Amino acid sequence: MRIVIGEDSALFREGLSRLLTENGHTIAGTASDADELVSVVRAVDPELTIIDVRMPPTMTDDGARAAAVLRNEVPERPILMLSQHVETRHVVDLVGTGAFGYLLKDRVLRVADFLDAMRRVADGGSALDPAIVAALVTPTRANDPLAALSAREREVLALVAEGRSNSAIAAQLVLAERTVETHMRSIFQKLRITDTPDTHRRVLAVLTHLTG
Amino acid sequence: MFGARRLVAAATVVFVAASAVRAVLAYGPPSIDDPAAWPLTTGLLLPCLLLGWLVAVRAPASPIGPALGLTATMPAVVFTVEEWGATYTTGSPWPGSRVMAVIGAGVWPWLFLGFVTLVLFFPDGLLPGRRWRVVWAAFPVAAALVNFTVSMPGTVAEPGAAPLVLPFALRVVLVVVAFLSFLGTLLAAASSLVVRYRRGDQLTRHRLRWLMFAALSVPILLAASWLATALGAPGEIAYLGFLIAMLFLVPGAIAVAILRHDLFDIDRLLGATLSWVVTTLISAAVFAAVVLAVGNFFPDRVGITTAAFVTALVLLPLQHWIHRTVGRFVDPDRTVALARIRDFVRRVRDGVAEPEQVEAVLRDTLDDPALRVLLRRPGEQFEMPEGAIPLQTGDSVVGALVLGTTSARRIRRAREAAVEARLPIEVSRLRLELREALAEVRASRSRLMDEVALERQRLERDLHDGAQQQLVAMGMRLRSLQYQLEPGSPAYREIDEVVETVEGTVAELRRIAHGVRPSRLDDGLAVALRRLVADSSVPVDLVVPDLEVGEGVATAVYFTVGEAIANALKHARATRISIEVEIVEQRLRVLVRDDGVGGAKEGFGLTSLRDRVASVGGEFTLDSPPGAGTSIRAEIPCAS
Repeated sequence: MRIVIGEDSALFREGLSRLLTENGHTIAGTASDADELVSVVRAVDPELTIIDVRMPPTMTDDGARAAAVLRNEVPERPILMLSQHVETRHVVDLVGTGAFGYLLKDRVLRVADFLDAMRRVADGGSALDPAIVAALVTPTRANDPLAALSAREREVLALVAEGRSNSAIAAQLVLAERTVETHMRSIFQKLRITDTPDTHRRVLAVLTHLTG
Repeated sequence: MFGARRLVAAATVVFVAASAVRAVLAYGPPSIDDPAAWPLTTGLLLPCLLLGWLVAVRAPASPIGPALGLTATMPAVVFTVEEWGATYTTGSPWPGSRVMAVIGAGVWPWLFLGFVTLVLFFPDGLLPGRRWRVVWAAFPVAAALVNFTVSMPGTVAEPGAAPLVLPFALRVVLVVVAFLSFLGTLLAAASSLVVRYRRGDQLTRHRLRWLMFAALSVPILLAASWLATALGAPGEIAYLGFLIAMLFLVPGAIAVAILRHDLFDIDRLLGATLSWVVTTLISAAVFAAVVLAVGNFFPDRVGITTAAFVTALVLLPLQHWIHRTVGRFVDPDRTVALARIRDFVRRVRDGVAEPEQVEAVLRDTLDDPALRVLLRRPGEQFEMPEGAIPLQTGDSVVGALVLGTTSARRIRRAREAAVEARLPIEVSRLRLELREALAEVRASRSRLMDEVALERQRLERDLHDGAQQQLVAMGMRLRSLQYQLEPGSPAYREIDEVVETVEGTVAELRRIAHGVRPSRLDDGLAVALRRLVADSSVPVDLVVPDLEVGEGVATAVYFTVGEAIANALKHARATRISIEVEIVEQRLRVLVRDDGVGGAKEGFGLTSLRDRVASVGGEFTLDSPPGAGTSIRAEIPCAS
């Protein structure tokens, strides 16, 4: 996979480049600030762009804004955002779209999981960090329908939002796949979302609901 | 009154004409009266006329200028008529001298016309109401009536044929009616002063006091003249002094009252003079009584000594009382003003009035809307404004009273008032000092807390972007190294363990950073609070609108709510918690209630909550009756 990395910390950038190269990927380019990143991506048109949320020049949400710019240019361009901590404000608009991932930086250390997430995003799917999903599935409005969910249903919903398939969820929660299906129906009913058997589209429906 | 000057000019013309005629009468062939009489009478009347001019020029709107002119001119005219008539009996009678002699016999009531006018009009025109107009109109009629009855044939030694002869009875009735009406109008005119004093405003009363002072000087000067005569001074000199003083002093006092009523401290002058007169009279009476009573039994010297001793004894306590009583009588405004200040001081002491109202009270009581009370602020050089009255506590000047209008009288009044109002002035100064010190402390604490909030934010960034990031980079290098090893070898497994430790450390650092400053605050206070309550193990009803508040306030509220929830779970064993956050009039209100055991007491947990709220200038209240749950309320000012 041809990858561009936008990351201001040289230590992290080099470490990640090396790790990805060792796993058979190509680093098509790197950038240490938001503006540079946008021009590099435009130039090389990578299969996946990995972006740190906090980058120069302002060290606030420049990475997220660069991602929005890139998405505007090519709506299906796969982007994986990285962050040191959970903050949903900057990425909430992107979460509901496909080919988007948002992970905490230390997930990189679980190399296999990280590569898997990269693959899902590049394929047009979604990969959200459990911590970020937890923040998203917290009821944040009065009369939020999320409040009507049971603890188990919320657990299942979180895993769906992370981009997992029914079978993956069943394995993780040690449940029969049919039980997961039942929970899903109940969740979709309570949240008033139209269910669909396609995993990708189902995840997107959930995320659209969560970030709407 | 546009004609004030014209009227005085007319009076002057008459005065000059009359004086000229009298000069001819005195020094011409008839040689009427003493040669010294003409300059003497003219000289005595002249100041009054000149003062009339002065008042008319300086205060053209005042009727007093013309009144003074009339007061000077009427005697001149009356004297002229009398002296003209007097030529009838001399060797060279003037034309019409017989008629003049007849009129002149009863012409003296006209001497009072100027005086009556002055009294009725002083200080600012006729009193409102028909009665006073009638009095003024009635006086000339009464004067003419008296003149007529006195000059009537049969009353005076008739030098020629009477023009009109009336029956005796009618004459008697006429005389009685004339004199009664004359006396009546005189008394009515005098009583107008009393009415005016009662009804008048402060300025009118103040001006009347000048007149009172002048009036009071008459008996004193008269008494002085008697005393001088009794001591052997020639009568003419003694009385001349009195007359000169009278004719200078009374019109002078009137002119000052109109033009410069604030020239001297008239209240004090009048009060002192009056109390001196009363004290003198009483001491003389006591002295005389004791001499009379004791003198019969003891030799003269013992009697006089005893009298002096008794007089002194009686006067010592009396003197103060007389002074106060006279002061109250002469200057009731002062008494009223001081009483009002005392009343205000009492209300301040009772907690009914605020000491800061002292300026308003002083403005009101001293009738000076521009008056200002300046207080020295702590740590500040106090510049005494020019002409200000210093306010002192002990030896140090703590402020100043700046008057809008100054005069000897106002300054004395203000000094008295300042002494009387010392307590509220000092209290409001102390409160000002305290308020400023407190504001300074609050401001510095708020600055400190802003600094702390920024510091926390920096620290959180440093943890995330520095140490945490480097640990992750280190972990990635370890993973890279791991690829060079045989999977399943001890070193491979050990690297797995090390990377796990690194992950754990990163999570730990994230937890620490969250404690320093929750990064969820980046998403706004409302979102951060919603996430916070989502961590709770019991149901929490949270009502919070989206709000924009500063970093310091947001952090304080976040931690306050967090601690309140922790307290409710840990100490109150609550099963349900409700949290309401709202902004009302730029104040952020937070209410946290639980259904726990209640009975929370001030302790470490609550104290730290209270301090946290206070650190951003907020107020914290706790309501925790035993068995009825706990409610915690925080109100924090926030300019949003």
